[in-house]
Amino acid sequence: MDFAQRHNGPDAVETDKMLTTVGVSSLGDLIDQTVPEAIRFDGELDLPTALDEVEVLSDLRELAESNVVMRSMIGQGYYDTLTPTVILRNILEDPGWYTAYTPYQAEIAQGRMQALLNFQTMVADLTGTELSNASLLDEATAAAEAMTMARRLKGRSSTASTFVASDACHPQTLAVLATRAEPLGINLVIGSIDDASFDEDTFGVLVQYPDTRGVVSDHAALAQRAHDAGALVVAATDLLACTMLTPPGEWGADIVVGSSQRFGVPLGAGGPHAAFLATATANARNLPGRLISVSKDPAGNPALRMALQTREQHIRRDSATSNICTAQVLLAVIASMYGVYHGPEGITAIGERVHGHARAFGEAAVASGYTLEGETFFDTVTLVAGDGLDQLVAKALGAGFNLRAHGDGAVGIAFDETTTADDLHALTKALFGREPTGPTNDTLGSFRRSSQFMTHPVFNSYRSETEMLRYITALRNKDLSLTHSMIALGSCTMKLNATTEMIPITWEGFGRIHPFAPADQQSGYAELVDRLERWLAEITGFAGTSLQPNAGSQGEYAGLLTIAAYHRANGQGQRNVCIIPTSAHGTNPASAVMAGMTVVPVATDENGNIDVADLEAKAVQHADDLAALMVTYPSTHGVFEESIEQVCQIIHDHGGQVYLDGANMNAQVGLSRPGDYGADVCHLNLHKTFCIPHGGGGPGVGPICAAAHLVPHLPDLQPDVEADSGMVSAAPWGSTSILPISYAYIAMMGPDGLLEASRLSILNANYMAARLDPHFPVLYRGANGRVAHECIIDVRDYKDVADAEDIAKRLIDYGFHAPTMSWPVAGTLMIEPTESESLAEIDRFCDALISIREEIRAIQNGDADAEDNVLKNAPHTAMAVTSDEWSHPYSRQQAAYPAPWSVATKFWPTVGRVDNAFGDRNLQCACPPMSAYA
Amino acid sequence: MVNVGIFGATGMTVVPVATDENGNIDVADLEAKAVQHADDLAALMVTYPSTHGVFEESIEQVCQIIHDHGGQVYLDGANMNAQVGLSRPGDYGADVCHLNLHKTFCIPHGGGGPGVGPICAAAHLVPHLPDLQPDVEADSGMVSAAPWGSTSILPISYAYIAMMGPDGLLEASRLSILNANYMAARLDPHFPVLYRGANGRVAHECIIDVRDYKDVADAEDIAKRLIDYGFHAPTMSWPVAGTLMIEPTESESLAEIDRFCDALISIREEIRAIQNGDADAEDNVLKNAPHTAMAVTSDEWSHPYSRQQAAYPAPWSVATKFWPTVGRVDNAFGDRNLQCACPPMSAYA
Repeated sequence: MDFAQRHNGPDAVETDKMLTTVGVSSLGDLIDQTVPEAIRFDGELDLPTALDEVEVLSDLRELAESNVVMRSMIGQGYYDTLTPTVILRNILEDPGWYTAYTPYQAEIAQGRMQALLNFQTMVADLTGTELSNASLLDEATAAAEAMTMARRLKGRSSTASTFVASDACHPQTLAVLATRAEPLGINLVIGSIDDASFDEDTFGVLVQYPDTRGVVSDHAALAQRAHDAGALVVAATDLLACTMLTPPGEWGADIVVGSSQRFGVPLGAGGPHAAFLATATANARNLPGRLISVSKDPAGNPALRMALQTREQHIRRDSATSNICTAQVLLAVIASMYGVYHGPEGITAIGERVHGHARAFGEAAVASGYTLEGETFFDTVTLVAGDGLDQLVAKALGAGFNLRAHGDGAVGIAFDETTTADDLHALTKALFGREPTGPTNDTLGSFRRSSQFMTHPVFNSYRSETEMLRYITALRNKDLSLTHSMIALGSCTMKLNATTEMIPITWEGFGRIHPFAPADQQSGYAELVDRLERWLAEITGFAGTSLQPNAGSQGEYAGLLTIAAYHRANGQGQRNVCIIPTSAHGTNPASAVMAGMTVVPVATDENGNIDVADLEAKAVQHADDLAALMVTYPSTHGVFEESIEQVCQIIHDHGGQVYLDGANMNAQVGLSRPGDYGADVCHLNLHKTFCIPHGGGGPGVGPICAAAHLVPHLPDLQPDVEADSGMVSAAPWGSTSILPISYAYIAMMGPDGLLEASRLSILNANYMAARLDPHFPVLYRGANGRVAHECIIDVRDYKDVADAEDIAKRLIDYGFHAPTMSWPVAGTLMIEPTESESLAEIDRFCDALISIREEIRAIQNGDADAEDNVLKNAPHTAMAVTSDEWSHPYSRQQAAYPAPWSVATKFWPTVGRVDNAFGDRNLQCACPPMSAYA
Repeated sequence: MVNVGIFGATGMTVVPVATDENGNIDVADLEAKAVQHADDLAALMVTYPSTHGVFEESIEQVCQIIHDHGGQVYLDGANMNAQVGLSRPGDYGADVCHLNLHKTFCIPHGGGGPGVGPICAAAHLVPHLPDLQPDVEADSGMVSAAPWGSTSILPISYAYIAMMGPDGLLEASRLSILNANYMAARLDPHFPVLYRGANGRVAHECIIDVRDYKDVADAEDIAKRLIDYGFHAPTMSWPVAGTLMIEPTESESLAEIDRFCDALISIREEIRAIQNGDADAEDNVLKNAPHTAMAVTSDEWSHPYSRQQAAYPAPWSVATKFWPTVGRVDNAFGDRNLQCACPPMSAYA
């Protein structure tokens, strides 16, 4: 069977049935009625013919084997690590973990939120702070987020605009900071931190601890000076180092950032990895990214949920603390489980061993006549530039080791969890011609950590693999994922994440590559990247691609920066206005603000389409300073707006560039191409259209494809603080190790399969619209009455009886995740089935919604109570429906088994409806003491 | 106990030997039978430690008796988990034994297989081990289709032994014995441990006697009620009818072992309530176990005990609730009405 037949849900028989219901004679006719003819891509995508699953694995095997796996001791923020196999098999390779969505429906997501709470607790403990978030995209962007957070914390009335960064930070961090600072008008001063002076214009300072050369310095005095000047201290640190060194939170850092990669997450040539940002609880409301907190459910049980969402882009849009949406949940889960499995003493033992190896090496180096930088180091030894150093890197290479060659001639060697005694011997022999002797001096001195960490029982209870396996399984079993039922979240494109697509990412040839390893060791990745970039450009009708942004939000940001750089290059640097429809995803305005643009909203008309007259008026008004339009196509309302070409033309006529939000690409692949109808740059969500699994809240990949005139302004691949189009992520290719997933998908579908997938995604949505419209009116339709790949159903008429949230929670009782709630239109539900769902599953979901409509009708008729009903009390836990007392006017069976066909697929929520307000008022963002569970 | 079925296949005649009142091989009876069959005795099959969970003191004597009368000693190695590093069949008189790699040596049970059952033999028997090549004329022909049997899962046991090393393997055996003795100590006041060794210890497993309660609840009732607590039952009614045999292994933590003991002790109290008349003799949590979610959420509930008692018998069992998907299966009906392929869809309507 072709892979396309495994990927797509409906077969030919089902397709015919659905066409009949939709009232159209063929799939071609439906597409003709849906996609405006003017923008139709009539050709065939120039992509290779589809491979089957065996062939694609063989192809990827060849690419993986073209990479060279060395013992990479480069450091610079990335350290090889051992993923415990129980975590590898039962989390990273388990679709029950990786096919879940971001935990918006808390009642069916308690498992991964518990793992994230563990992450938050572990990171806060290790960094010596009070509160950590639930992951950011990488250390460099985390540092940039900390920079803008520090400015926010100074308060609105502050005009301080200088941020000082140590030149001993990782180069990629400095590069991303420079990219981030410039459009925001932040004066980034990079220099030696010992000499740095702070004045009233300084709002923050960033130090790296240990620094990029491995040196551990005492920053307490610096922190004092900064605080005296009214500046905040940001420390970029290393979690393993924090087991042995006094952590930044204890010597004066206000915000601590870093990556958790070395806690069991493969190098992956740069990602994906979970970064973190940790701070004092008092700063919680300014925190970027997701934050998990403990609240309660109606029974008073502890219940986890995402806290303080009013900070975030989906609520606050251009006022959000960050544009981040999809984060790095799966990787944070892995890192937290690493902490649970090893415990504080296990991780410390790893730290001691790493430090011991580094010391032994350092002593051998000194005995061989070299000079070490700094007096104190943890895992990284840097040999001061001098005679013979230039040969060291080559000698190491010959022995199978990658070292770090600094620009000034110094050589760095970073030890990690995987370094064995044999490695140490081999390296020392190769470089110095001598054997290492046991390390003698403990160089940590007063830097040695004295405080305890990870004392919570969760980090001290699961040492045997049996216990660990059961803990992992118990958490996974609480979470609903694509392994259970369809997740018809509009605009999230929860399609199949095929096993064959997932297999290669844990191959050593893909996983064990350091992002800064020599290019000739990454030729497999280079080839894969090249092909994928060309395929994505072909699909979008553009000339070039950057795979660097590691989320859709980052793609938006990168695309806007590209446009801004283009304007600057054309002497139009004054252009900084970004027109954005009010229906746009919250990340759009948030990204525009981050790119230093001013957001000018444009209205939608009564049909939900961009108000072209309003757009024209605003374009004219801003003819001198219009930078860009951000448009989503098909629209966030699920419509192929007829006006798109006209809209793009208007923007171009007034000097602007068109940024297309490609979140809805699933309706376009093979049918229309942004580059053809007027867009200049677009992002794609590889974790939507191109099958990277959602991971429970990340990882994501948000590449941008751009027209030829913008390609020179795409983000750089090398750190360069002076660059005009600087890096936007820490690693050149972003989350490189998951690119094979999208590669495999495109390779196995081929041009025909991709086109068919788009056609079926449109059919599935139109079928659902046809079935549901009599019960919940479909809000917006295209010119011919068709929806695209998603549709909005209007439930507002019933809101006095049951609102969108009630319906969402009641769907859980039927075994389903809700559609997208209250976005883009408040009080409605947006449904996107994708092409991967079969007719049977789609019918079950429609049946559930129709049954809920009848439940609403019973309340409207007075046959059911207005307050004490199945919707208001949803979702119903097993504990609730088996309680000894049952006072509800409806039965337990009605509560738990609302339809006969829902019995076989029953999924129990583990908590009742979570009290969000209580959770925000009583912020608890670390694991509660065990007494809370008594 | 002897493996009657195997003998049938090898063409041997089975002669049973009794166990004494302590559950050990009746050595006198064994001697008598060995003497009686001195001319035609082929072998003894013995399990060690015994299937009763006891390191019988007489094992060397037993082997000697067999050898004295011309026989060979086959040792059933199913209980090897109590021996690794502590005692070796070849040292105390066995001539050949099998091992269960899917028990002692970590090949997972697979829901009912695969297993691997290698045999290890003394030097004089090695020439007679099964051939590696097909040969219908062979004196010791192949017993499986492939020369190394289920070859691809041998790396599992290889890895286990390689990662444990001699010290790890010894410690595993010691802990397996400790875990079983701990459970025996916790459970004995509630369900007497049936057989013990000479010093009152059990090996790596123990039999608890529930026969005293069989008028109230038998071994099957207890097994089904354990499901409501989220556990699989111990071995039911073997080797002694009406009892339960418990083997924790070295891999279970104290917390988990305590939970299991707590479950059994709680069940003992449920039995006591029936004995006292506080609970009905027929309509009770044991007779109706296991309870499905559908059953405990039914609109009508006529049982004298509550739904919570049925489904969540202990507070600590809530977090680890596992729902059986069907109630107690009617075995007799199933054998009378044989349906051994997928029923038509109409059967599920």
